[in-house]
Amino acid sequence: MKESRLMLIQYATAVAAVVLVAVHLIMQGVIYPYATAISFDNILSIYRNGFYAIFLEALLVVVLVHGFNGVRIILQEIRQSKPWTQLVDAGTVVAIIITVAYGTRTVILAVFGVVSPA
Amino acid sequence: MTGLATLAYVLGHLGDTSFFVGGPTGTGPSHSAWSFIGGIFENSFGHLILILVVLVLFFHGVNGIRLVLAEFGLILRKPSAIEYPYKPRSLGLGQKAMIYAGIAIALAAAVWAFLVLFEGMG
Repeated sequence: MKESRLMLIQYATAVAAVVLVAVHLIMQGVIYPYATAISFDNILSIYRNGFYAIFLEALLVVVLVHGFNGVRIILQEIRQSKPWTQLVDAGTVVAIIITVAYGTRTVILAVFGVVSPA
Repeated sequence: MTGLATLAYVLGHLGDTSFFVGGPTGTGPSHSAWSFIGGIFENSFGHLILILVVLVLFFHGVNGIRLVLAEFGLILRKPSAIEYPYKPRSLGLGQKAMIYAGIAIALAAAVWAFLVLFEGMG
């Protein structure tokens, strides 16, 4: 993918992340008191509300793409050669896939998994 | 630096939230695993880290918006000849205002996080 397009992705995910992270933080300390927000029952109800589950998945993808693409940009500024560029680009894709997969696993298990007794 | 610090926190957060479903080997929402991870991070030290994360995150966000606006030429001054004392011409009032706004908003957000985490506000 062209570097200009990757930078556009970086800017688009930045703007999306500002909105999504703001909503996420508001839910942690404004809509609910913090102690309530991190309680097991509250988190379970959030995951099992379809809208919020999709919201959390979107937050996961946007933040990780933005974060790892940001690291890629920093690494490309440090050194420029074709092998280095290819290595960094491949590493970025692998890092995004692994972390998004791990986070998505959490979301899927939280939505569909059987709740273990207290 | 703020981006790297935020990414480091996000990766840690990815790990700790996975304990809601029992951790890396879990199979579904687990009270005991969630209580276990809460026992490690929900204390004064953990809350201090969260306040620092909020501080860094808000500055990164506002500064990032400044960079996006500058990239598209919206807050860049017109190019002109470089003259003594060689002050950066690109840093006009808009950019300087956004840098100071970023610092102010980050500090305000950190105070808000302190009140939420240590004073039970919310």
